Amino acid sequence: MLAATKILQRLPFFNRMFGVDAEDGLQEINSWPALMIASSFIWLAVAGLLGVAMPLIQRFELGSDLFYMALTAHGAALAFPFSFQLMAGISLHRAGGCVGKPITGVLPALIFICMNLGAALLTVAILLGFSVSLVVMYPLPVVGVATGQWSFNTLVLGFTGIALVLTMMIYLYPVQLLKMMFFGKKREDLILSERTLDDPGMLGMVIAALVLIVMGTPLMIIASYVLVALWGIIPLDVVAWATKPVVFQFAFFTFAHNLMEAMALMVISGIYATLPLYLADGTRELYSKRLANAALWILLITSFSSFFHHFITLLPNLPASLAYHGNIMSWGTGIGAALSIFTILATIWKHGLRKEPGIMIALMGFVIYVMDGASALVTSNVAWSFQLHGTMWQSGHTMTVLIAMSMMWIGVLYHHYPVMTGRTLSDKQGNWFMVLFTAGALGAGLVMLAGGAAGMPRRFADWAQGGWAVYGDLILVTGLLMAVGLIILAANFMKSRKLDEIPGSASAPEAAE
Amino acid sequence: MLESFYLTGWGAFGMMLFMLVPFMAVFFYVVLSKSYGDSSPSKAPQSSFVKMERAWIGLVIVVFVAVNIASIDFMPTTATAKAVASGEKITEVSFTAESWSFDLPETKIEVGKPIRFSGKSLDTMHGFAVYHPDGKVLFTMMLMPGLESPTSLIHTFKDAGTYTVRCLEYCGNSHHEMRDELVVVAAGS
Repeated sequence: MLAATKILQRLPFFNRMFGVDAEDGLQEINSWPALMIASSFIWLAVAGLLGVAMPLIQRFELGSDLFYMALTAHGAALAFPFSFQLMAGISLHRAGGCVGKPITGVLPALIFICMNLGAALLTVAILLGFSVSLVVMYPLPVVGVATGQWSFNTLVLGFTGIALVLTMMIYLYPVQLLKMMFFGKKREDLILSERTLDDPGMLGMVIAALVLIVMGTPLMIIASYVLVALWGIIPLDVVAWATKPVVFQFAFFTFAHNLMEAMALMVISGIYATLPLYLADGTRELYSKRLANAALWILLITSFSSFFHHFITLLPNLPASLAYHGNIMSWGTGIGAALSIFTILATIWKHGLRKEPGIMIALMGFVIYVMDGASALVTSNVAWSFQLHGTMWQSGHTMTVLIAMSMMWIGVLYHHYPVMTGRTLSDKQGNWFMVLFTAGALGAGLVMLAGGAAGMPRRFADWAQGGWAVYGDLILVTGLLMAVGLIILAANFMKSRKLDEIPGSASAPEAAE
Repeated sequence: MLESFYLTGWGAFGMMLFMLVPFMAVFFYVVLSKSYGDSSPSKAPQSSFVKMERAWIGLVIVVFVAVNIASIDFMPTTATAKAVASGEKITEVSFTAESWSFDLPETKIEVGKPIRFSGKSLDTMHGFAVYHPDGKVLFTMMLMPGLESPTSLIHTFKDAGTYTVRCLEYCGNSHHEMRDELVVVAAGS
């Protein structure tokens, strides 16, 4: 029995939700992914509670320190150990079943340990006062020590946690994925639905893995130097070049932006792979592979340098030409998204759609993804960036993209769940989750964007200052809608029924495709 | 009209809805009618899909190009370049930001006169956002420490009044208290 299976069996509640069958012959593609998925939902519970806590802290005036602590912990938990880890778990399972390669050995264990240990260390640092926000805001971590906001040891702890998380995202996970795609012996007994790189559903995964390695390496080099110096192994003077804010910030946002694009590529490929399985006429073909692949390539090419839009308001330190380049490249990603929209809608129109919760959840996630895309295009325009940068618009954009991608993955998980766990989920509860979570996510996104349009600052502990408290209240209401949806989803996982206990169940073979 | 479109957050919100609402209408129509309604395959010929594909891509490109070209005149980069080229006297306002306050000079700022704001951060990332007395963000600047040149742009105020300045880059536990005021007076007063 794999270590991951044993850990899962010992996890209270989550063993009931994501425990895998050790005897079904698929443990090697199920166990580590299932453990990552279970762990991601634990982090989602943390992130969700903190998300609801933030407006309450402001409403009841519980203090700005507490607000910034909740803000940092919420963002960090939502983005990395939840959203990224959920993606890692489902995509590794998908890849395993498509190419017939096991997810076993040291690498998957390291992926799991680095992400969760790193996130735990960062959380402890945050609880000790390391409130630097999701994006670190370098050189704030160092300035915070100088101004007595947190201790040097807390900084070292926080950076160590971040380094572990980055190692998982930039190297361990992409290497595992590429290893499965290109190396090792194919095992027929692990193949659920064989696919090749000609398939848009597989191409996106490979592109995303490469993006993470290529665009993350500069940050890893810089972060490693800084961390080694913080540990006292080399003098800080030696890494002076790496500690310059302009160096760190540009390396950070080159990666952070492309991290989101890589996750988008990965999840769109997941939709391209899953949608055809739910077509009413049984064709199992996208409207056009050519158009689907073009969307992925356009998204890839335009996303590389669109990160300049993060620095538009640094004028003239970011030259106007690069600001406009970031503007145009960002709108270029919109062309890729437009092709994806057409591919998905034309596929559904041409072949009809089975109304099953998994694909519906994924499609509602896609709607939220498009809303996020529209908000991203607007704020990337140079003219609008000068009104929106630093406002709640940006938080709305970040939250929406993470929620959208996670929702699409939950839809894809719904599809893979029976083969992963040997159990099936309730359609009724799945539909309730879809309705409540979609309404909450759309509502929260629109409220945050509207708050930004009204000048409400992001990462700001005093919404009452500019009369923005009403937006905070609406964020709370919409957040609660999402929370209720997630509670229903959790109940659905808890009450999942074993396939062999359902008379005449056809779900197992179907899901295996 | 274009000015209120490109120079306000609500103009941006309108643009976002312009893209989102038609998408959602079509998306929900297609998904719901083809799943909860008649899910049989479409009888439309492939050529009609191809035509629609071309029309859709063409429409997207036209809208994207038009929106971005029309915005050029409203970019602070363009306004700054125009103000410099006009030869009009530019009032300099150089300031610094440090956790958690701005060091703003007491310069007289008049309506209709171009003002060059040049700012530097002395410690961590800060923002310099100027809010109109009605609450609207006029512009925001990112101040990154360690840069030789200040972040800079030229802005011409249209209304007299007391403008609020806020830091919009999270800078630590008292970030929300980092604010100041600019008083803009009528021309000649």
